[in-house]
Amino acid sequence: MIGLVDANNFYVSCQRSFDPRLNGKAVVVLSNNDGCVVARSNEAKALGIKMGVPFFQLEELRQQHDLTVFSSNYTLYGDMSARLIALLGRFVEEVEVYSIDEAFLNLSGYEQLYPNLTELAQTIRSTSNQWLRIPVSVGLAPTKTLAKVANWYAKREPGHNGVFMLDTKAAIDDALQTFDVADLWGIGWRYAGMLKRNGIRTAAQFAALPDDWINAKLTVNGLRLAYELRGTPCKLLELEHQPKQTICTAPSFGKLIPDLATITEALTTHVGRAAEKLRKQESAAGALSIFLHTNRFRKTPGNGLPAKQYADSRTVILPHATSSTPELVRYAQAALQAIYAFGYEYQKVGVILSGLVPAGHQQQALFSDAPDQRLASLSKVVDKINHRHGRDKVRLADAGYNPEWHHKRQWISPNYTTRWREILSVR
Amino acid sequence: MTALRRQERLSVYDFARATVETQLRIPFFQSLVQAGFPSPAENYVERVCDLNDLCISNAEATYFVRVASDSMIGDRIDRDDVLVVDCSREPVDGKIVVVWLNGDHVVKRIHYAGELIVLMSSNPKYDPIYVHPGDDFRVFGVVTFVIQKPV
Repeated sequence: MIGLVDANNFYVSCQRSFDPRLNGKAVVVLSNNDGCVVARSNEAKALGIKMGVPFFQLEELRQQHDLTVFSSNYTLYGDMSARLIALLGRFVEEVEVYSIDEAFLNLSGYEQLYPNLTELAQTIRSTSNQWLRIPVSVGLAPTKTLAKVANWYAKREPGHNGVFMLDTKAAIDDALQTFDVADLWGIGWRYAGMLKRNGIRTAAQFAALPDDWINAKLTVNGLRLAYELRGTPCKLLELEHQPKQTICTAPSFGKLIPDLATITEALTTHVGRAAEKLRKQESAAGALSIFLHTNRFRKTPGNGLPAKQYADSRTVILPHATSSTPELVRYAQAALQAIYAFGYEYQKVGVILSGLVPAGHQQQALFSDAPDQRLASLSKVVDKINHRHGRDKVRLADAGYNPEWHHKRQWISPNYTTRWREILSVR
Repeated sequence: MTALRRQERLSVYDFARATVETQLRIPFFQSLVQAGFPSPAENYVERVCDLNDLCISNAEATYFVRVASDSMIGDRIDRDDVLVVDCSREPVDGKIVVVWLNGDHVVKRIHYAGELIVLMSSNPKYDPIYVHPGDDFRVFGVVTFVIQKPV
């Protein structure tokens, strides 16, 4: 059996974990830069607030209702997520971290230890509730896809008390009869539309389709999905953390920026962040892309006409793979100067590092410089200092001192678990 | 013989290569390795004492909180002290606990008198608090250590 543990309204639950006043209230969490809604409490869902709604559209609701708004605090959510995963590891050996708020558990072989899996799931729920004050739902089924379906029911039907098991053929058939094919794991809106045009509305109808038809219309991935729904596991737990193939850092500016100097500061900081991630996973980048663009939706203030637009990007193939911040910054700044055009209000500059190779495996070229090992060591030392004394304590002067381009986080909550000055206060 | 010596030298370098990610502190050797005479202390290397081992038994369920009142001064818990709170411990009778009560997190000693829960301060200025049914009450966790800077 496979278990899927999914935290309910995770970001909202993290905020509530340290501020119980928010319990029973409408709460939303906004995306980076306070752009749009990325998490809603059940009460906020009941107010009709949809996922992805731009924040400015909530202004009226905020005046009429008791609606609490938070900027996303990924430091807090990341820490709570790590605690949740560690907690799950106490019960089961094999845990696949699927996303920040979801994990698969491999429960096969635990029959002796946990004869009643529903009871185990309830214990996981109450432990998370006591240790983290985060409510979770658990779906139990023979395959990952069915565990997703079971979790859907566990979360939405209060009678199940947060745990739902699909263990018999009858229970699985029953659940798939009423399960919308569009909600299936891996069925995007295109496939959902195509299936509905062909009269397939439920997961049960999908699972009953002939293999040839599925293979022709939805490729082998669709076929795997059908097998999983029929109870044959095709997706195994991915326990090894895969190093990323590309690393991208590109948060929007907090306000529109026209001048090259400020954009250069922002880019230098982004490259620094990306290089730090690169070194953390022990990789080096073989190529670097820079992109720069204006806000597509912006209207010129005054006349309301669409503002003039500009977007460009530039990719630099590096002479040797490197993870050194100063080296990457040098290429990034040159690329930025090549694509920057005067006279626009820019919204975003970003960097993508690609062609990643393990840091140790660098090919020596005959006619180009070998990477300077001293630079790589220097960056590692800087990482250590910053890890101990706080982010950006040591950084390139080009990153500037006055980060006016930083993104907006107007309603950020304290970092209850990661900063001494912001920990919970008791009387 | 030469090969053996090189191996011994390498092992000393390995000790010094502590990574920051794991926070595993490893003693750094000051003594130089003399050719043929490895440091006599080498076989006695142990991890240095880590306060986390002493104060935290269950990291996932442990939180730090700061004290903002003198209500527990009788238990030598003063303003600005940092409490180590373990949410996996049972709040048994007589433990010092952090609880959420009617809109505030408070640190008190918990007592059970039948159905009734009593939260005691250890400062005569503060009265005992009786938790009534219908109060917004839940136990956050049990205080396991007090971190204090002497004055």
